[in-house]
Amino acid sequence: MENTHTDKNFEQKLKQLQDDLIKMSEIVEKQIEIAVNVIKTKDSQDAQLTQNLDEQVDVAERDVRDLSFEIMTLHRPVASDLRLVFTALKVSKELERMGDHSRNLAKRAISISSSFDDELIEQMYSLGRNVQSMVNQVLDSFFKKDELKAKTSWNQDAEIDKEYKSLLKNLIERMHNKETSVVDEGTKPILIAKSLERIGDHATNIAEEVIFNITGHYIDLKKSDFE
Amino acid sequence: MVEQVNSFAIKTKNVSVHYGNKMAIDDVTINFTKNDVTSLIGPSGCGKSTFLRCLNRMNDVIDSCKVQGEFLLNGVTDIYGDSIQVETLREKIGMVFQKPNPFPKSIFENVAYGPKIHGLASTQSELNDIVMDSLNRAGLYEEVKDRMDDIATGLSGGQQQRLCIARAIAIRPEIILMDEPCSALDPIATARIEELINELKENYTIIIVTHSMSQASRISQRTAFFHLGKLIEHGDTSKIFTKPDKEQTNDYITGRFG
Repeated sequence: MENTHTDKNFEQKLKQLQDDLIKMSEIVEKQIEIAVNVIKTKDSQDAQLTQNLDEQVDVAERDVRDLSFEIMTLHRPVASDLRLVFTALKVSKELERMGDHSRNLAKRAISISSSFDDELIEQMYSLGRNVQSMVNQVLDSFFKKDELKAKTSWNQDAEIDKEYKSLLKNLIERMHNKETSVVDEGTKPILIAKSLERIGDHATNIAEEVIFNITGHYIDLKKSDFE
Repeated sequence: MVEQVNSFAIKTKNVSVHYGNKMAIDDVTINFTKNDVTSLIGPSGCGKSTFLRCLNRMNDVIDSCKVQGEFLLNGVTDIYGDSIQVETLREKIGMVFQKPNPFPKSIFENVAYGPKIHGLASTQSELNDIVMDSLNRAGLYEEVKDRMDDIATGLSGGQQQRLCIARAIAIRPEIILMDEPCSALDPIATARIEELINELKENYTIIIVTHSMSQASRISQRTAFFHLGKLIEHGDTSKIFTKPDKEQTNDYITGRFG
């Protein structure tokens, strides 16, 4: 177990910072889950919920930023404490962007007509579920300080990119074939897929921050690290 | 990285120090790079001051103190060997203490005393030049140039400490040891001394004991962490304060010790 701080006030603030991040992560994970479900359900109330949650995410990000600033100003953290504050600031920014993407994709998902191709909906939904799982893994690695898990979740992004490209190819082919249900929706499915793919990218950024928090180094991760 | 033999101002190996039966330093090996500022940090009683005082044989006067191990000045001269007199050694390795300790003499005499007894000036004019130059380097000359004959103990704490630094550099040492030189000073006087340390490192190797972690991080290129007489970790200050290798170092500098 980690030793406790001699400065209890500092200790309490570091704990608060972690609690704030956990809270923010939970909101964003919920937001992603709902948004991914909306791809299938097209439930407008749920889409509105992602909008409402986004406001909470913005508040949470400001809380993390303000507390980090206060800790740096009043307690001048060093070593593991400094890395935690630095990581918290960057992770909160990534989470905030994930929240924005979730809100946007849910908004677009409800406007897609119910006659839209089921296979493509399934493909988007599957991509969404995989992104959701990756986000869950990477946040877990952060709070458990699990370097291996962070690397594993970083590696998941390659699969997500592959799935995204396959979906995109499918969409474009069907547009070329002038399949009415696809053409009528225009760019909406592409933008939904792009939002999911971007959430995956933000998750890989978090994985890199997690590794920095643990090791003190930013490592240039390559696929070969896992082969 | 291959270190050149003469890139170290002081090399030490397997140093142990006992006060009677009590071990104060336990098998410490550390080298001090020329023109670097090295901070020695650690909780009270960790042995950092004892170690610092070994470097210019200040512990010689303590009967119960037994020093073992290898101490080499510039990679060749045995600090505890017969080839060097302790007076000559302290000419090369000066010291500034926690509490400013000017002689109860004039400002001029405080700085002139060392060069006089070491025969560094053959004329009064040369002596005047050394005094002026030393006070200048210590950043004190402008403040005292019109009252060189005033008694030194009348200066403020910060000025007295800079006078002690001027006195130390007047005998042209290679290395300056500092034992918590700012602990009795206010933040402004401390900032002045820290600025001075930064300037002095151009020409001197500085080894400083400090209780202030922020001071160590501000002024030194290298930091050594001592605990219970052992050297736990020694490395670049930027690394020690961002990602130390040892858990114990991390705990100490983040305030988790106890």
